[in-house]
Amino acid sequence: MLEVPGRVRPYLRRAFSVADASADTGQVELLVKTIGAGTAALEELIEGSEVRLLGPLGNGFGIDGLAGGARVAVVAGGIGAAPFPLLLRALEKRAIAADFFFGGRAESDLALLDRFEGHVSGEIFLSTDDGSAGERGRVTDLFRRRTQAGRYARLYSCGPMPMFAALAPIVAGLRLPSEFSTEAEMGCGFGACLGCVIPGMEKPFIISCTEGPVLAPEKIRWQ
Amino acid sequence: MTSSLEVELGSLRLKNPILTASGTFGYGLEFTDWVELARLGGLCTKGLSLRPHAGNEPPRICETPAGMLNAIGLQNIGVEAFLSEKLPRLRSMGATVIANVWGDLEEDYVAIVKALEGAQGLAAVELNISCPNVEKGGMLFGNSPSATASLVSRVREATRFPLIVKLSPNAPDLVESARAARTAGADVLSLVNTFVGMAIDPETARPRLSFGTGGLSGPAIKPLAVRMVYQVARALPDTPLMGIGGISSLSDVLEFLAAGATAVQVGTANFVEPGVSQRLVEELEKYCLGRGVGAASLVGRAHRLGPAPAEAGAEG
Repeated sequence: MLEVPGRVRPYLRRAFSVADASADTGQVELLVKTIGAGTAALEELIEGSEVRLLGPLGNGFGIDGLAGGARVAVVAGGIGAAPFPLLLRALEKRAIAADFFFGGRAESDLALLDRFEGHVSGEIFLSTDDGSAGERGRVTDLFRRRTQAGRYARLYSCGPMPMFAALAPIVAGLRLPSEFSTEAEMGCGFGACLGCVIPGMEKPFIISCTEGPVLAPEKIRWQ
Repeated sequence: MTSSLEVELGSLRLKNPILTASGTFGYGLEFTDWVELARLGGLCTKGLSLRPHAGNEPPRICETPAGMLNAIGLQNIGVEAFLSEKLPRLRSMGATVIANVWGDLEEDYVAIVKALEGAQGLAAVELNISCPNVEKGGMLFGNSPSATASLVSRVREATRFPLIVKLSPNAPDLVESARAARTAGADVLSLVNTFVGMAIDPETARPRLSFGTGGLSGPAIKPLAVRMVYQVARALPDTPLMGIGGISSLSDVLEFLAAGATAVQVGTANFVEPGVSQRLVEELEKYCLGRGVGAASLVGRAHRLGPAPAEAGAEG
């Protein structure tokens, strides 16, 4: 009996942020952390494998309305750093300085730091829950300690929902316009299955894949 | 012999037997990047209720082996918004539209079909009496043959559209439910909706879906659905059937047709491959042309070859 490759999972496609993309080379970069069946299968792909990609889907971070010379904050939790290389490049092109706040549970969660070496125009602040890298504690607390009202023109964030829940009242207190790239398990990615909804303030649910995934925190009904 | 793809399900005539299943195809308009809607035999809308409905709290979906569980909870824009915002656009694209409807009470179903009556661009109405993800209505009608009969006969009186009743595989006796729906006036039966399932996070020991349970769909349920279509086709040979359950390839389509379905609805595969429905139309067309057969001649072949060996032990 010969065992043939193939499996019953994963069945659905997986949603990833675009880390960077180049119109010149046609390359799209995804930063992927292996956490389950889908990412494990991707990890097993050998170089040169063909995969089918549906995208780009949904919205992205907005940089309109920021004046040259402005300063923004980028707050990332773990693999939540994935969408920021492209944003940092776009900001730099417009002469907008960005400080990068990057946190995780332990040093291993900050593995993407290498990818940002030389790509952050402002300061880099690190934190880990266990103190194995940067300051001990939450990245949201680190951000609160290092800022005050008026310091930043905008905040961009990506990470797990508990991080957003902690960050939302902080940015509200600072009256800091913010964009959170939210995370939800997605079935289709184009608004058909309605599986990826996020509780909303103005309406019961926001469809994350088509109306997001980047949302203003005041639109989200925090639980 | 003709190689036409056209099929007839009672008074409902379709250009081909490939449709898309309710709840997996939005209102059709979400798919226009990948599908020319007019190419499809038809599309079944997201389940419509009298008023807009918010649906269940997340998490609503979770992947399972060869499929997924969902407990969306019938989130929809309501019949009024469908008629004013979606249907005119679908009509201008030449889509064959089947309105899938649901309610908490018999009165709700009657009111919805009355609101739809005479709508331009609508080909049929499909009654969802089989959604496992709402507290009231839905599956409660589908799980009792007498409740099914009562609902279907009232809706039958309220609409002139061809009436499709979508059956629940969770009903205690699917054949009895099918018979009840047919006797009460259903023109077509579609089967099956999702199977009630559950997934629990082994770390936290909590259900993965906020609703607790969910409906299982995808390739995992295909053999169950094929068996049910075969069984109902055998018991009710004069009732036109639409087969649903894990269809994603031409061989899946041929299998359901052989089991006795006159048409099929493609469901969960639309999420993974948004153009799958049109691809299946094209593949079936090629298949029929190549063999010089019409799609209608492919229906019920498994029955013409005689009963399956195991059927001797099964109830009539």
